[in-house]
Amino acid sequence: MATPLSCAVSRSPTLDAPLDPADLPSPANEDRWEWLQRLRAGVFPLEPWLAAIEAGRVPPDSDLIAVLADRLDGAATVRLLRWWLAQPLRDPALPQGIAGHRDPVVATALRQALGDDSSTEVQVALLPLLGHQRQSQDFDLLQRRALEPAPRQQRCAALEGLGLGLSVWPLGALRSTLIQLTTDLDPGLAAAALDSLARLPDGRSSLLAVRSRALEPAVTARLERRLRSLPIRPLLLLVHGRAQGEIPAELLSLADELRERRGAPVLLRALTDPQPADLPTLEHPLGLVPLLLLPGEHVRHDLPRLRLELRASNSLRVLPFLGSWPIWQRALAAELSRQVADRPSPPASPPLLLHHPIASPLGGRYLRLLASITGATPQEAAYSSERFEASLLRHQGPVLPLALAANRLTEALTPCFGAAAAPLLSRPALRQVLLEQLEALP
Amino acid sequence: MSASSTPSPAAPLPRLEEAKASFSGLDLAPRLEQLGRDGWESLDEITLTVHLKWLGIFFRPVTPGRFMVRLRLPNGAIEAKQLTVLAELVDRCGEHGSADITTRQNLQLRGLLLEDMAPLMAALERLGLTSRQSGHDNPRNITGNPLAGLDPEEWLDTRPIVQAIQSALLGPGGPRNLPRKFNVAVGGAPDSFLLHNDLAFLPALRDGELGITVLVGGFFSAQRNELAMPLGLWLRPAQVPAFTLAVLHHYSAHGNRSARNRSRLMYLVEALGLDAYRAALRATYRDLGGADPDLLDHDGSHLVNRAPRDLCGVHPQKHEGLCWVGLNVPMGRLEADSMAELARLAASYGSGELRFSESQNVVIADVPADRAEALLAEPLLGRFPAVPGPLLAEAVSCTGNHYCGLALIPTKSTALAVVEELERRLEFPEAVRTHWTGCPNACGQPYMGQIGLMGAKARKDGQMVEAARIFLGGSMQNEGRLAELHHKGVPLDELPDVLEALLIDNFGARRRSAAAPLSVPS
Repeated sequence: MATPLSCAVSRSPTLDAPLDPADLPSPANEDRWEWLQRLRAGVFPLEPWLAAIEAGRVPPDSDLIAVLADRLDGAATVRLLRWWLAQPLRDPALPQGIAGHRDPVVATALRQALGDDSSTEVQVALLPLLGHQRQSQDFDLLQRRALEPAPRQQRCAALEGLGLGLSVWPLGALRSTLIQLTTDLDPGLAAAALDSLARLPDGRSSLLAVRSRALEPAVTARLERRLRSLPIRPLLLLVHGRAQGEIPAELLSLADELRERRGAPVLLRALTDPQPADLPTLEHPLGLVPLLLLPGEHVRHDLPRLRLELRASNSLRVLPFLGSWPIWQRALAAELSRQVADRPSPPASPPLLLHHPIASPLGGRYLRLLASITGATPQEAAYSSERFEASLLRHQGPVLPLALAANRLTEALTPCFGAAAAPLLSRPALRQVLLEQLEALP
Repeated sequence: MSASSTPSPAAPLPRLEEAKASFSGLDLAPRLEQLGRDGWESLDEITLTVHLKWLGIFFRPVTPGRFMVRLRLPNGAIEAKQLTVLAELVDRCGEHGSADITTRQNLQLRGLLLEDMAPLMAALERLGLTSRQSGHDNPRNITGNPLAGLDPEEWLDTRPIVQAIQSALLGPGGPRNLPRKFNVAVGGAPDSFLLHNDLAFLPALRDGELGITVLVGGFFSAQRNELAMPLGLWLRPAQVPAFTLAVLHHYSAHGNRSARNRSRLMYLVEALGLDAYRAALRATYRDLGGADPDLLDHDGSHLVNRAPRDLCGVHPQKHEGLCWVGLNVPMGRLEADSMAELARLAASYGSGELRFSESQNVVIADVPADRAEALLAEPLLGRFPAVPGPLLAEAVSCTGNHYCGLALIPTKSTALAVVEELERRLEFPEAVRTHWTGCPNACGQPYMGQIGLMGAKARKDGQMVEAARIFLGGSMQNEGRLAELHHKGVPLDELPDVLEALLIDNFGARRRSAAAPLSVPS
């Protein structure tokens, strides 16, 4: 049986003394806590406290600093920071207790304190706080301190500064700095760089970029953990397909490997499929990737229709058609360059980009752009070698059929051009580029 | 009603109350992704340090830029798959990342960047978890019997009641701006000591029917410590969520908003008087649509009659052939790898369900009896023992000065070092509960310990050194007793010797032979 309880304990006497720094009870005095709580709850002029600390009349104990910190403005923070810097014996924990507020004045003071002649102790204490101020101009200093040969704590402090301001630094420079640090001989530093890299926009792509580097085993394991945990969309690869929706083996193989690499669903749909299967229910938004090479009818009409259809049942992110990806266009150029380089002597005629007939002005503009990037001449090719133009049959230079997988075009070209007419996904370098790009998609 | 606790309508609200009233931190939720992407320079300091706590996001002055997220885990229950994802979130914070099991059966994650918040919140939502309203002036995580549903001794399964309370509090009718934090707990077993909560529901009989009796007003603070008192009302479990809402709405409307150190529920109960307070709650309950006649009077007697069990070790569940295995997590501190491994063990050996206890330990549920031995042989149990020492098993600690600017000592590391040293020196007839806290705010609940320790400073050899105040005599038996001050400040390096003598004199400990003292880091 319980009875009402009332067990009041440990009451301190009421303190009526004015809240003057000289009256602050010593840390060993049991009244100090309540005194500080009164200080915290009240409105008090800061100046006497700053002056008392500067004059050495009141030690900046952590409990007092915790109370004062709420009231510090930029100027007051700078005063305490300068006082700290002037001390022969510095409490390394003090700066983070006073410089938690972001203020340009504080950033300037930190920057000045972090000159090249500052000690390691100062660097270690202040570099994270400079990052916390999140002023983009400080990237260079933090980057330099993180990369330069210096005591480990200093480099770690600079990297922490980069981490604390992550979204304000110039992305490209930040990414390359972090990538560089992932191979650092210090595994702790490398791991921290990796974790920051994973937080960047398109972190998955950044992480894949370091996968092939010589990483410490612990860092490699960390990399795989980060990759596994990054959210990843299921992909729907939209392809042209062959008659009755048949999907060529090159594309099936690509999807299989992609599924394995991403650890997420990769679906295929052919535009030629008369009765496409319903999509399964997916947990995450779907990424629709049109693996189409030219801005023809399929891209301009079929794709928007499909997008509307899919949006009715799925959250969708639609990527541009493959032929418009700059990295793909550069890969085509590189493939043609390889063909040229593989010949014993320079080809007599310029390379050809063989494509199926395309009539729209947009298609024409696209082909001219591709020609300027690849240095090749677009050439329309019929679906039967018997209907090829005579000039094509006489062509002695490299050719590249704009077909990802075997289709009527590549089959028609093969009797004339042999292996040179192989579809693009049969070419290891192009397949690899596409695979890596698809793998890196969020 | 006494007006002494409530500001007059004309009195200006304190700055903090004005800030709370002018904006709800919950409205920041849709902006987290943008803040993470574009930076958080647009947030003023009050938003950063106060309003974000409504989402469970804590700016930590001791680690500027590294945030803490406090979850809500009703009844301390968590699934292995949830813990696995949380482990990954901590892992990405590297050496800055850790998690603490709290004294409210909850988990708080440390070392996070604001850029982590949007993906973290999305992950929590996918997992069926939330961190909403877990900090500041909100109803905190609702605790329940950590063995609910497993316990052969339980009177009632607290899980559905706790979950229903949380749903009510976080739902559209829940409170969004209380005068102060508010602790709610539901007891279901004979050892559910909950009198330190503002609102405690304990199993109780009325005319032979099992229900719940209500206790109000328990709290610890730097100024005052109280155990909850019987309100004199008895509820059926289905009434508890609506009744909790009534208590909180009344508290929100009438609690003291002018002085934060006099605003916990007990002050309101005292200002009104218990009878008037009970009547006011009946009215509020009725206004909210509850059925007034069903709030039956009660004498406050309840079925809690002993101190909480030590959960560690292998224990048979109410289900034939199944056990729970309790593991000691020293001072409740978890790292990413241990979180992931705990999740793996729970999924491999049990049903995947884990429970956190108020003693900051963990229970793996539903382990087949014939697999318990294999579980005990797992390497993780070298760090988290199923049979911890008699001090370690019951040692509870706040976070300490590594993460908290108010703490005067490194609480967790000091507690662990001292406890290990004392276990090396002494043999004990039974476990002794020690509660360690870094400052008078008493987050480590020192008044509930048989021995309570509170961070302090003391002079030694003319120098100011880290020290601990010692409290003795706390009891979590039936009616409870708060520990009282025994020593004003023992330097930390003398603490093992002082505690050794106390344990011998008061708790029947005996010296082991040939034990040489070790120094304790201060």
